Amino acid sequence: MKIAVMSCIHGNYEALNAVLSDIDDHNVDRIYCLGDLVGYGPHPNAVVEMIRSLDIPTCQGCWDEDIVEGLNACECSYPSVLAEKRGKLAHEWTNQVIHPEVREYLAQLPFSLRDENLCFVHGSPHNQHEYLLPEVDAFVAMERVLATGADILFCGHTHIPYVRCLGSHEAGSLDAAQLQIRVKLTGKSEQNMSFSAPLKRIVNAGSVGEPRHGRPNATYVIYDANSDQILLREVEYNYQKTCAAIIEKGLPPIFAWRLARGLEFAERADDPTHVCER
Amino acid sequence: MQTLDITLVTGPSGAGKTTWIQQQIHSIADSALYLNLGADADSVDSTYLAAEVPGLKVLSITQLADFLAHPIPRAAIYLELGFHIDLTSLILPDQMADCRRVAVLSPGTRHTEWHDWADETVTGIEAEFTLQQPHFWRSALSRQVLDPASLNTFWYELTNGAYGVVQRAKGIFDMADGRSLYFDFVAGLPATPHLELNLPLWLNGRPDRFSGIEVVGEALEQETIAQTIKECCLEDHVIAYYQKQMRELVSEEVMG
Repeated sequence: MKIAVMSCIHGNYEALNAVLSDIDDHNVDRIYCLGDLVGYGPHPNAVVEMIRSLDIPTCQGCWDEDIVEGLNACECSYPSVLAEKRGKLAHEWTNQVIHPEVREYLAQLPFSLRDENLCFVHGSPHNQHEYLLPEVDAFVAMERVLATGADILFCGHTHIPYVRCLGSHEAGSLDAAQLQIRVKLTGKSEQNMSFSAPLKRIVNAGSVGEPRHGRPNATYVIYDANSDQILLREVEYNYQKTCAAIIEKGLPPIFAWRLARGLEFAERADDPTHVCER
Repeated sequence: MQTLDITLVTGPSGAGKTTWIQQQIHSIADSALYLNLGADADSVDSTYLAAEVPGLKVLSITQLADFLAHPIPRAAIYLELGFHIDLTSLILPDQMADCRRVAVLSPGTRHTEWHDWADETVTGIEAEFTLQQPHFWRSALSRQVLDPASLNTFWYELTNGAYGVVQRAKGIFDMADGRSLYFDFVAGLPATPHLELNLPLWLNGRPDRFSGIEVVGEALEQETIAQTIKECCLEDHVIAYYQKQMRELVSEEVMG
């Protein structure tokens, strides 16, 4: 089985189209979406309609939740006063233009999804607003994965894709797991063999519509269960078109300026020790 | 009549006028005075120099007249002329007729009116000056206290062209922890970290001292810049919260 996992589209229809085309080229069996379909970007309704029409299993992101239930964020959502004001402005704009049926769709999205040994969430299994940054404490990271009962936890929210392997029992480190076996072949002496393999993994899908890796390109991941390979994809798209739409729709021009530079529209939490209190 | 040690300093924005004046003042043992002609009594340069150069006295234009009438013996005075001042229309008092005229220019600067006007040219900072019609914008921010993370975001955006082409930007900003920070940007030069000015921590209410920003550029979106700065400012209750924490911290350090 081969799956594509994408997250954080944020109303960027051009980016979504480009990613879906790229996914088409990779013959995946299924697509999962980790939420944040709306917010900041100029086409929230079109993005949701596209996801719905393709019947893509989607979990609820923090922006989706806030559009349904109103803003109620922990301090980690807005690391600066300026980011908070920009975020609230984007929220108000999205809240005004969103169609009733789109809001209803966002409201019924599940918090998490499961597919055998895979779990899909937006932020963390604790809540949609928590950031699982790549440098978050290994024990915290492991606890988050174990809480799901899955082997691989797919998340988004940070807007930077990464793969993190967890599993060793060595003191102070959980980044590699040792598996020891004893092999005895007929006519030969016993042999001890060691393997290093991750027991648990966190895979962050990055962001389709609001990257913050320094380039405007969309990112998502492909996971091949047969080969256990994870592929981080970066897709170019016509971001100028999205930038023009941001200005045309009356969103702050600084959103377009930041999108064109892969800077994200606002900011994100950068403290890996912070545990979301929401 | 007593000979006065007066130096008039001019040059394009970002060429290093203030830096050169600072170096000159450091090299002289006697008292020094400074006036920025073309700016208000309180300006970014005046505040920066007053904080960073011990013994320097910053003059207002009125005080300059007093000084000329009653000069201080052995005092050197530096008058900085903004790049936007028309040198041909500059009428100097008689006492300043023989003053030293210095132009601080970037390396390779072609013949300009500054060359014609100056007695002496000094090689300044190698900066890029590509603007056809540089525009000067400034805003006083006194009594405003900014959120550091927001300020960093704004400064990055400003100096990377989000609000128009910026050739030169400098600012002094008050923080909730009581510090006064100096930011300095010249196009084409590597970014420099901000400097904490040598001023007392302000931990009781809104700071009653100068802070402000000056920008030289082209097609500047002044209203957006002003609005963004406003969005970086903290409200009274937030300022009071942080200042209380800082006062307790300072008190603990003193007691410890």
